[in-house]
Amino acid sequence: MNEDKNKLIVRKIENGTVIDRIPPGKALRILEVLGIDANYPYTVALAIRVLSKKMSLKDVVKIKGKELTENEVHKLSFIAPGASVNIIQNFEVQRKIQLEIPDHVEEFIKCLNPNCVSNSHEPITSSFDIISKKPLILRCIYCDRVMEDKYLSGKL
Amino acid sequence: MNLEHLFTIRRMSKNLMEDIFDLASSIEEKPDSFAEKCKGKILAALFFEPSTRTRLSFESAMLRLGGQILGFSSAKVSSSSKGESIADTFRMLNHYAHIAVIRHYIEGIGEIAKEFATIPMISGGTGTQEHPTQALLDLYTIRKELGKVDDITIGIMGDLLYGRTIPSLLFGLAKYDNVKVHLISPPALHIRKNVKLRLEENGLAFRVTENHKEVIDELDVLYVTRLQKERFPDPTDYERLKGAYQIRKSDLRKAKDSMIILHPLPRVSEIPFELDELKYAKYFDQAKNGVWVRMALILKYLGVD
Repeated sequence: MNEDKNKLIVRKIENGTVIDRIPPGKALRILEVLGIDANYPYTVALAIRVLSKKMSLKDVVKIKGKELTENEVHKLSFIAPGASVNIIQNFEVQRKIQLEIPDHVEEFIKCLNPNCVSNSHEPITSSFDIISKKPLILRCIYCDRVMEDKYLSGKL
Repeated sequence: MNLEHLFTIRRMSKNLMEDIFDLASSIEEKPDSFAEKCKGKILAALFFEPSTRTRLSFESAMLRLGGQILGFSSAKVSSSSKGESIADTFRMLNHYAHIAVIRHYIEGIGEIAKEFATIPMISGGTGTQEHPTQALLDLYTIRKELGKVDDITIGIMGDLLYGRTIPSLLFGLAKYDNVKVHLISPPALHIRKNVKLRLEENGLAFRVTENHKEVIDELDVLYVTRLQKERFPDPTDYERLKGAYQIRKSDLRKAKDSMIILHPLPRVSEIPFELDELKYAKYFDQAKNGVWVRMALILKYLGVD
């Protein structure tokens, strides 16, 4: 009975994405990055700071009708490294992705250097090597400038 | 040997640098024997930012090799003012010249060259990022004056934040063994984080100080750069620091006899005219060496024997 009292019941979704084991407090930022707000037409379940066996506390997000793009997975990996993304189809987990900061990223963030060629009108996209994951440091492959955690937090 | 482009010293091996210096040295000894080497070849000099020494010494280098030059020295007279991309400029250039030197305020254009240029391209300075040929002539001058670059102690002084020659010089020094570096600047003009990380990756040890007088007795080379007035938000800061970052005759009392003073030029007041006559002053020789080094670079990158 006690166990049931502490259990959070959120209904399964038919099609969509479940992001589990999110570092506590990051769920709202995830929705923001995915562009999900009050106008999103389907069910979104959000759990913040719920008990977790592995992490003591975690956030969980369930989004009906949403499948993440590659680019969105990359973005989320910076916000919630270690979280798991489950793509659900017909109530079943079709694909499981462990969010991990990659060694290299393209396109989704702009170089902070206004004089970098990736910020001018050229047939190229922004491109960064991740030279450190903790603390997070990205290096632009064009101008060699580095972007650190404190700068990135507002950009991701 | 097929050399592609030169936009950063980081990608140049010590062996290649030494080859270039050996060739520059042979050219310096007998320039006339190289007078026909680039006959029929064209160097394009594209200067989207002002330049005196770099452009003139590259042009002089190509003319001394018997080649021809074309180009411009202001972004205003090029189609970039109409919004043309650098990629398109490079694509076009492939058909107009055999080799090109380019100076641009935009940083990271080496990667554009890699993708769109089929002729060798050499940076004549990119924004505040790098100035690799300046660093090569600096290292050539050190090698010539001191007989080595390994095992030296160098003080690098002035604007280490915005001066594009500084990262290139440091990346070049990092290729040599047992080089000790003193970085001498006001804290606000210290090297950028990305340069610092690169030095750490390459194992070049450096120490930081605000006063050249504290370290002058240790130095084999004192490399001075200009404090750029336009970089200071408060002009009074510039006026205050200007004096502290000026070399006076009396500062040199403790210097080693063999120490040399270098400066990429132009200088303003950091090296007063009265120092020009001293044995330490090698900055005009350094500027002259630019021609030999750039001749060697043109030959190497064109693959001319």
